[in-house]
Amino acid sequence: MSSVAEIEIMKAMEVQLPLGLLGFENIKTYSLTSPPDQEPFSWLTMSTGEGLAFLVLPPAFVLNDYAPDLSNDDVNFLEIRHPDDAMILNIVKLRPNGTATVNLKAPIVINRHTMIGKQVVLSQSAYAINHPIQSA
Amino acid sequence: MLILSRKSGESLVIDGRVIVKIIRTDGDTVKVGIEAPANIPVHRQEVYEEIQKANREAANQAPLAKLPSLVKPKNTSGSTPLKPANIQHQTKIV
Repeated sequence: MSSVAEIEIMKAMEVQLPLGLLGFENIKTYSLTSPPDQEPFSWLTMSTGEGLAFLVLPPAFVLNDYAPDLSNDDVNFLEIRHPDDAMILNIVKLRPNGTATVNLKAPIVINRHTMIGKQVVLSQSAYAINHPIQSA
Repeated sequence: MLILSRKSGESLVIDGRVIVKIIRTDGDTVKVGIEAPANIPVHRQEVYEEIQKANREAANQAPLAKLPSLVKPKNTSGSTPLKPANIQHQTKIV
């Protein structure tokens, strides 16, 4: 388990997830930190509760043409008026053998102006929950 | 578990704010429509459980784990295009 104390806090941005993450619905406030030596990865850390941290990544670093379809409900919930309003981060899972996968099926979509986000479950079958990340 | 029988076209109301309507039945498949406020997300159970499991597995990580080195994205802005779907009706059909 990652604890808040072990993560070097650089400039942290507060992110609100009013519906939490699936399985962690009661935790609604997170801190998004991007240590320069870990670019392009960032950490999304719970501000309350167990203080768990999720490693996240913008999907463009894993595939070129990721095009998540958001429902009108999600667009309205996040108050997204223009595609540029949305910041998309996908949760990364590190495996003990050194490989990593990224969850393309359930991205975290954040309105970069309000810093309010939601984990959206995509209905597109093309995107996997455990999409392998190719190391350079 | 509350068990009720409904015919096509009939509905259930949950907590006065979630409406579940039976749209159509076809053999052992039921088409269900759900109207719920935005703060009540609705998912197919097996999908919900898969994502929940993936989130929980991703939360158990050593903070100093070696991160994969990545190729820079081909589009230099690094941003992902977003296309809202064209769902017109307010009732979610699952």
